[in-house]
Order: sequence, then structure tokens, then C-alpha cells
Amino acid sequence: MSSNKLISLKEAVSRFTADGIQYASGAALPVGSDAIAFGRELLRQNRRRLHALFHCNSQQLNLLAAAGAVDRAECGFSGLEVFGFANGLRRAVESGRLVLEDYSNLSMALRYLGGALNWPFVPTTVNVGSDIAWRSAFAPDSHPADGKIPAIADPFTGRQLGALSPLKPDLAAIHVTLSDPEGNAIMIGTEWSRFELSRAAKEVVLLADHIVDSDCVRQFPNLVRIPGVIVGAVVWQPFAAWPQGSPGAYDIDEKHMRLMNEWLASEEGTARYIDEFVNGVDSLDDYLDRIGGEVVDQLQKSSSSFLLDPYRKWIKPREEIESLLAQNVSQGEAR
Amino acid sequence: MSTDLPYTRQEMMAIATGREVRDGELAIFGVGLSMLAGYFAQARHAPNVRSITEGGVFGATPVGGLPWGIECNRISSNAVSFTNAIDALGFLVASGRCDVGVIGAAQVDKFGNVNTTGIWGREIGEHYAPPKTRLTGAGGANDIASGARRFIIMATHEKKRFVEKVEYISSPGYLDGGEARQRYGFIGGGPSAIVTTLGILRPHPRTKEFELTAWFPFSSVEEIRASTGWELKVSKDAAPAPEPSEAELSALRQVDQTGMLRKK
Repeated sequence: MSSNKLISLKEAVSRFTADGIQYASGAALPVGSDAIAFGRELLRQNRRRLHALFHCNSQQLNLLAAAGAVDRAECGFSGLEVFGFANGLRRAVESGRLVLEDYSNLSMALRYLGGALNWPFVPTTVNVGSDIAWRSAFAPDSHPADGKIPAIADPFTGRQLGALSPLKPDLAAIHVTLSDPEGNAIMIGTEWSRFELSRAAKEVVLLADHIVDSDCVRQFPNLVRIPGVIVGAVVWQPFAAWPQGSPGAYDIDEKHMRLMNEWLASEEGTARYIDEFVNGVDSLDDYLDRIGGEVVDQLQKSSSSFLLDPYRKWIKPREEIESLLAQNVSQGEAR
Repeated sequence: MSTDLPYTRQEMMAIATGREVRDGELAIFGVGLSMLAGYFAQARHAPNVRSITEGGVFGATPVGGLPWGIECNRISSNAVSFTNAIDALGFLVASGRCDVGVIGAAQVDKFGNVNTTGIWGREIGEHYAPPKTRLTGAGGANDIASGARRFIIMATHEKKRFVEKVEYISSPGYLDGGEARQRYGFIGGGPSAIVTTLGILRPHPRTKEFELTAWFPFSSVEEIRASTGWELKVSKDAAPAPEPSEAELSALRQVDQTGMLRKK
């Protein structure tokens, strides 16, 4: 029995993804904790025709959409907060290359809850009486749409409600601040819908900024909202959410947020972005180099970094994590 | 606009929005302008406002500049609780507990329906097609519009934004007016005001059509009617809104440290 689920990013993408899967990530808000590094690897391995479920758009969906890797997407919010419209996603939607189905920020979370509970539908008092219910991008000829958020009656009072379809993605790549090697994970900051998503998805891969000793999660079991029993693999990926922020760990890289969104606004810029920041990045050192040494230092000096203090003594050093990774590689080869 | 005003139109809009928020209320604010208006109210006249963000960040005030987002480190550095979407938008807003929300609009119509999804430049018709210009989608605004006891819409007052009928209802106002909201059983009461860069519109108690009730000191009924895409009615009680007081301006500028509202 091995409780060590650490594998490399490359292996996680190769083992857990395929063309055309329903892929969920971005169960964070638009500029926060998202497993963006996973999306970069999806592009390196040339995954296509993804059906993306992003509670909120993030730079990950922005990039995947700009690169043409996503055919269909479902979102509650599709911008980048103060960084404006998500240019890559926007371009893909306006050209018709990507079909985007709109929900709201509560209804996406409720759909994950429905998937997690294995409910046939989730009653909703939101999205009814709006074009979110009446219009379906996935069924453009149905108006008012009858298969998206159909009206139902409350069996007790007769009041009219809507029915939301549950979501059970093939895979969820979820960003967490801390995880032990078994996948017992702590999220610092709002968890948004990562809790529900972790229970709704058929497979869960965690991307953790830090790997901690099991003693850490045993000290704070109330804070472990994603337990290892539902996790398939753990990827150690410092700055996994870059250029977005991870409370306690690093700030938003404001300059790169703007550059990325600006480049993703055109085909040429997207190609350039992929060339400079996606392709050929095949090691952690290379990844951190592309972020830039000074920037890495700067971003870690966050006003929120005190939030990490209670956990610091359990954070595993790189050598130890690499030796845990190596164990799994040799075991994999032995099989 | 006149350059010798001691404040900008954006500042006036934020102050007028903040004045709508009452002390002690449970309030939800979005990122940017709406958050500034909310924190202004807290700094000035509503010290006990209980503000939440839809991310489930409780009790925090911004540190180091205007937050980049409702979840970012600048609003996560002195929080008392971090929870999640179902908690903030569901338990506290869609449930009917939240007193007031503030949302933005790319397009708003005479019944206070809000479009933040896309611009088609035409009626969409029976067959759905992608918009010419894709916007950000509803986010949490639809949930606030459905569940909050009342909500305030903030929008730049331009003819192209103030339209007879929005192309897409992202967040419901009074739909086609009157009692239309009752058909859908919304818990929330609907929009109580549209605060713009020129003045304030409020719904007629029966028809729910928005009428001009106040104009800002630098504007006029004529300018506002000319900047509105429907035949805007003027309430018989319409009057100029009070200028920002010095205390109000100074409270707002404490909140808006980086001067976001003074840029234009």
C-alpha cells in the first residue's frame, strides 16, 4: 500500500486526460487559485476538443480557448475582474469556434453540488426569469430553451422554480495551497466551489503550491476540505496559479496578467505566448525562470503571506519531494 | 464636463450609490466601482454595514490598493472567515437574507433589466447566435438580482447603454414591468435605483418603469433625457442630488487610495 500520490505534471496530464473529455478547473474566482499550470501542460500535450467547465473563467480557460483546445465551455462569469474581458475566450466565442453556455456564479456551484450528491437535478430560485434560462448556446434553435433550466413546480406549494442539470466532469484539476503526499489538502483563501467540484468529478488531480508532511493535516483536520480518499494524484507545482494569485503563497503578477490577456487578443499574440511561456517548459526550474527570479521573490512578499505561517514548519523541501516522486516513477516502471 | 468641479463624475456616482446603503445592513459588493461605493458607505455613514463578497470573504478591508478581484490577496489579508460560493451567494443571498447588493451594467433598460453578457446589435430572435461583442456574463449579479431584498445598478449614462429593452437579460430587473417578477417567485424585491454618472433613476411604484428622480449638480434633466435611449419620464418629485460634502469626499478618497475614480 502506498499513500504517496505524487506524480509529475507531465504524467498527470498524460494519464488523466484525453481529447474530448469534460474537463473542470477554475473552480476558483477569475484571478485567484486556479490550476493554470495544468492547462499549460494540456497544450504541450496537444489535447483538443475539450469540453471545459469553469465556474469562473480564469487565465487558464482564456489560454485554452485562445489556443483552440476547447470546443464547448460552461461558465458563471467569463471575464477577468479588474483585468477586463478575457480576450482569448472572447475571440473564440465571437468567431463561433467555441460555444459558451452561460450560467451564474451560484448556479455553477449548485450544479457541482448536484453532481456530488448524484441528484437528477437541483432546484433553483436563481437564473429563472432571465435569458440564462431562456437561451441555450448548446441548443440554439430551442427558444425559450426547454432543456437547459426547465421550469418545475415546487411539489409542496406549487411555486415555480427552475431545474439545474448536475455536473460530473471526467476530470477536475484543482489548485490547493497545501497537500500531503496522499492528497489531503488545505486551501487558503475562499474555496469558491472547489469543495463541491472535488466530490462531483470522476477523477481529481491536485496541483499544490506546497507539499506538507502528514502531521500538518493531522494538526488541522478541520481545514482539510479535500481528503486524500477522493484524490487520484498530487502534483507539486510551485506557482501553479501564476500569473494569478494564491493567498498566503504569492500575489497576482499584475504585469503578466495584462501581457497575457493582451497577447491572447490575437492569433499571432497567442502563438507568441505559447512559444514563450508554454512550449518547451519541461522542468520546474525552467517554469520559474520564465516567471523570472526577481518576480518570484517579489510575488512571495505578499501582504497575505502570514496566512502560511502556521503551516511552514511542515512544508517539505524540494529534495524530499523529488525522492517521493522518484519512488512513484520506479514503481510505475516496475508495473 | 466642467473641469473646475472639485470631484469627478465617477466619484459622484460612487457617493450617490454609497448613500443608498444603510447602517447595519447585510450588503454584497462586487469588484471595482461597487466595492468602492460600499466601503465608502462604511467609512462615512454606515460603520456597521456587514459587507460580504460573493467569494465568501468575510470581514476584510482592502490592503495595498483596490483589489484586483473579490478573492485576491488584497482582500484576503485581514479576513475573519473564508468560505465559498454556495455560502455567500446561496445561504446569504439567494436565500433572501441579504438586504442590499450593488451590481454593474453594460446595458440597462427602462424596467431595470441588466445585460452584461453580450452585444448583438439587434434582437437575437428565435435562433441563438453568439454576440458580436462578448462581455463577461452574469457572474454573481443574476443571483443578487434574484435574491437580494433590493439592489442598486451602477452604469455610465450613455444612450447606447440605456436602452428601451436589453438584448439579453443577464440579471432580471422588473422584466416587462408591473408585477412581472411575481411570475417567477423571486425572493428579492428588484432594483431600487439606477445610479448613473449623471443622476439617479427609480422605479415607478406601480408600473416599475424607471423615472428620473435626481440629477447631479453638474448635469440637467435635458442632458439626462438626451443620454437615455427611451422616452425617460421625470418624476414629479425630481430634484438635484446634494453635492458631495467635504466629509463624503474625504471618506471616499481614503477608500479610493489609488485614485481609480479620479482618472476621468
